[in-house]
Amino acid sequence: MKKLLAILLAVAMLAGILTACSSDSATVKQGVKNWVTYLTLANEMETFNILYSQNNKELQVLTNCFDGLLSQDSRGNLIPACAEEWGTEDGGKTWTFKLRKGIQWVDMNGNAMQEVKAEDWLVGLEWVLNFHKNAATNTSMPIEMIEGAGDYYTYTAGYTPAAADADDAAKEKAAKAKEKFEAVCAKYNLDPTPLTEEQGKALGLDLFKTMVGIEAPDDYTIVYHCVAEIPYFATVSTYNCLYPACQALIDQLGVDGFLACTNENMWYNGCYTITHYVQGNEKVLTKNPKYWDDKCALFDTVTYKMVESGDVAYQMFQAGELDYIELTESNLRTIYNNPDHEFHNNLVEARPTKYSYQIHLVYDKHFEDGTPDTNWNTAVANENFRLAWYYGLDATPYLSRTNFINPQKCANFCYTMTNLVSFSNGTEYTARVRELLGITENSETYARVDAAKAAEYKEKAMAELSAKGVTFPVEVDYYIQGSSQTALDTANVLKQMFSDYLGDDFVVLNIKTYISSLATEVRNPRLASFFINGWGADYGDPQNYLGQETYGQDNAYYSVSYSKINDATDPELIATYKEFTEMVDKANAIVGDMDARYEAYAQAEAYMIQHALVIPWYKNVLWQLTRTNDYSHVYSLYGIQGNKFKNWETAEDIYTTADYNKFAEDYNK
Amino acid sequence: MLRYTIKRLLHCVVTVLIVVSIVSLLLSLMPTDYYFTEDQLIKLTDEQKESQLAAAGLLDSPFVQLFNFLKQLILKGDLGTSRRIQNGVPVVDVIGGKFAISMKMGCIALVISLFLGIPMGILQAKNKDGVFDHVGAAYTIFVNAVPRLISYSLVLVLGVRLLKLPSMYSTRNVFVSSILPIVCLSMGSIASYALWMRRYMVDELTKDYIKLAQVKGLSMRTIMFKHVLRNAFVPMAQNLPTSFLLTIGGSLLVERFFSVPGLGPLLTDSITRYDIPMVRGLVLLYASLGVIGLFLGDVLMTIFDPRIRLTGKGGDTR
Repeated sequence: MKKLLAILLAVAMLAGILTACSSDSATVKQGVKNWVTYLTLANEMETFNILYSQNNKELQVLTNCFDGLLSQDSRGNLIPACAEEWGTEDGGKTWTFKLRKGIQWVDMNGNAMQEVKAEDWLVGLEWVLNFHKNAATNTSMPIEMIEGAGDYYTYTAGYTPAAADADDAAKEKAAKAKEKFEAVCAKYNLDPTPLTEEQGKALGLDLFKTMVGIEAPDDYTIVYHCVAEIPYFATVSTYNCLYPACQALIDQLGVDGFLACTNENMWYNGCYTITHYVQGNEKVLTKNPKYWDDKCALFDTVTYKMVESGDVAYQMFQAGELDYIELTESNLRTIYNNPDHEFHNNLVEARPTKYSYQIHLVYDKHFEDGTPDTNWNTAVANENFRLAWYYGLDATPYLSRTNFINPQKCANFCYTMTNLVSFSNGTEYTARVRELLGITENSETYARVDAAKAAEYKEKAMAELSAKGVTFPVEVDYYIQGSSQTALDTANVLKQMFSDYLGDDFVVLNIKTYISSLATEVRNPRLASFFINGWGADYGDPQNYLGQETYGQDNAYYSVSYSKINDATDPELIATYKEFTEMVDKANAIVGDMDARYEAYAQAEAYMIQHALVIPWYKNVLWQLTRTNDYSHVYSLYGIQGNKFKNWETAEDIYTTADYNKFAEDYNK
Repeated sequence: MLRYTIKRLLHCVVTVLIVVSIVSLLLSLMPTDYYFTEDQLIKLTDEQKESQLAAAGLLDSPFVQLFNFLKQLILKGDLGTSRRIQNGVPVVDVIGGKFAISMKMGCIALVISLFLGIPMGILQAKNKDGVFDHVGAAYTIFVNAVPRLISYSLVLVLGVRLLKLPSMYSTRNVFVSSILPIVCLSMGSIASYALWMRRYMVDELTKDYIKLAQVKGLSMRTIMFKHVLRNAFVPMAQNLPTSFLLTIGGSLLVERFFSVPGLGPLLTDSITRYDIPMVRGLVLLYASLGVIGLFLGDVLMTIFDPRIRLTGKGGDTR
């Protein structure tokens, strides 16, 4: 089986190389040489340090400035980037990446500074895992996956003793941290005294190499030793936690200076350098003249204009100052409903974004005074109550807020995002989940809805819950940001849907508001009955989705932070969650046979959805006016490659609807 | 005067320190979750969050945090480094980079406002109830009644469609791209200066000394410019230095609307992102500008009206 896997990987690698080679600039139609796009001011960058950033607002720009080991093509396949070959010979426990020669670190003006070598990946990972350098950001995946990474982080982070007047919980926490730290020190024969900030910052690669499972046997080979067989590890290398850093630059800027590096003093190894940056105004990316992939098609410059809102951006597009605009609902309606509008024939549908949105139910909701909302908690623990929502709520009016022309394009019936992975016979993973759920997608209706079933479950739920003392209608609290008119409009649509599809005798949706932080004001005090939230994968495996919903596991983000299932008390609900968790754990353990692994995940996902533990809701498919063909872009459903301005096909004139229909048709052939 | 100046400056320093201290203490009371982005809240463990808070000194008591800030400020002139606006960059550098842009644009707008607003007010007062007065009043009412964002949108559409001006400010094309933001910045203050100038002049015109001057045979022009204008300008003079200094602070709305990379939106951005060092630095800046502006306003008043004395006891008419 291991041999088979090695062959498969080799084939994938070869296919990747061929795909990469085919992206020759000569074949890419470039009608625009200087691309001008926009971002809203809320998306202004906060850091230039790609190892520190965890936000899309920075990564969407920085992905153009740095290349990692691998990237993706327009179909989401892994392709070579800095590494030209990669593979594993032991089922995913050890991964070897062979770097291409001659990649250069350059300054903002494109002057070569030094060659990119394997040790740069060690320097990058040391930076990420060293608490005193990167302040614990981007550590979760390396800690979970790479041998010794967690130990190195624990050692650099040390522990803070509890204050004398601290409560018991704080003291216990501090004691545990100390115990963990001391255990690491004992394991590696280290002095059990926490490092000072200066000592932490002064750490180089010596200790790191002895503790962490990464090595550079020569200048062009990197070997990762994983904690277990991780068949998807190659996909993790598309994420910035495994990006390189140059020690010479760190030495030049100092640790603090490197953390706070700017576009002017940092070094680049990606396809563009940032030659002009004014915060809150604009940034200009200029083609890197020393870029390793000298055959790819790049823009001469890419300019990001920072705008106050989408409406201002639309004005700019009309004035010819932008090459692309994402349309708000009102602009879309104005253009679509007026056949004489100058852009009527230019409306084109974008490809789905990487996020899969769900209704995340909260199983331990509280009132504002901190007491449990027993009425809601009892109701939501009842499976018939949840299934009434699952079959009753027709999301079409909600989807129309994003895409009123083709609302069903936004329909989502799975937890994992479409096209993340496929079986070896070509079957797409979520197609298999839908098959297990018995859902056949169509362009006319929200396929999951079944009014008769919804009525049946509602009747059962009301009977069972009334017997348990639940009063109807059940009050459902839904929170939106107070300052957002768009959120309020959407919430009002949702409220009407609850009334229309579930009935005012069953549930009543209360729209409530928070000021600035959903986490602090709503999630932590557990005030909401449910959230609608999206997840985009960090790496290419269903585990990254389903692992967020498991029971009793600290790294299950949605369970810990949203659903609070670990604090629920209903035995039937907990049993269902435990069953789901077991199914996910079993799937996690399958590492040799990817088809069997995906099938096990698909079964677990279908189980979760059939029991309506989480209710799949929508995905984003927006409308736009543009001079670029989206189907030529990197299509990335995980990692940070999605916004790379590489091999973009563009036209001088804005594309028409007919052009895009042709692009989609060609792509889907 | 020198003694008064020193005393007032000392008062200014104390006032600024009090303001900064109160704001710092209030900031320390905010929940620490705000320190993290939503993404960090997803990905950091509780242990990691606590380590970060401890490293940033946010787990210390509010008074210890305040003491550390004041110690750094007084001994080293250090306002700390930004965390969320530009991670790791000194607050002074972040503010300094935006300061000049806001000040330049604000000063131009202020000069335009003074040169257009004051003559407009004078003409309105001189032609009270005449056509010009009505036109001026209509402009003032329009500017004040229409929400700013709508009038800015109007300026944007007209400027872009008719005059082919760029929609947003660009540091690579400063002159042309500054026109629309400056027009928007000036619109309101032209109306304001015209309104107050007209009002004070009309007030002055009803006073007895005007009648005396007319009886003495002075021309209306002499009366208007030598007497009425000077007296009417005194109450406005007090606000001039503050207006000038606060141009440095920029305009939140205009700067946001035209993506001007100035100081305007920085305070609100810093507060919403819980960037405490930035908030402290900006509060220090604004408080300083405010108190210095008031002080300079008082001084300017004595220049325009020699009867006003800043020293001496009440009732002293020397």
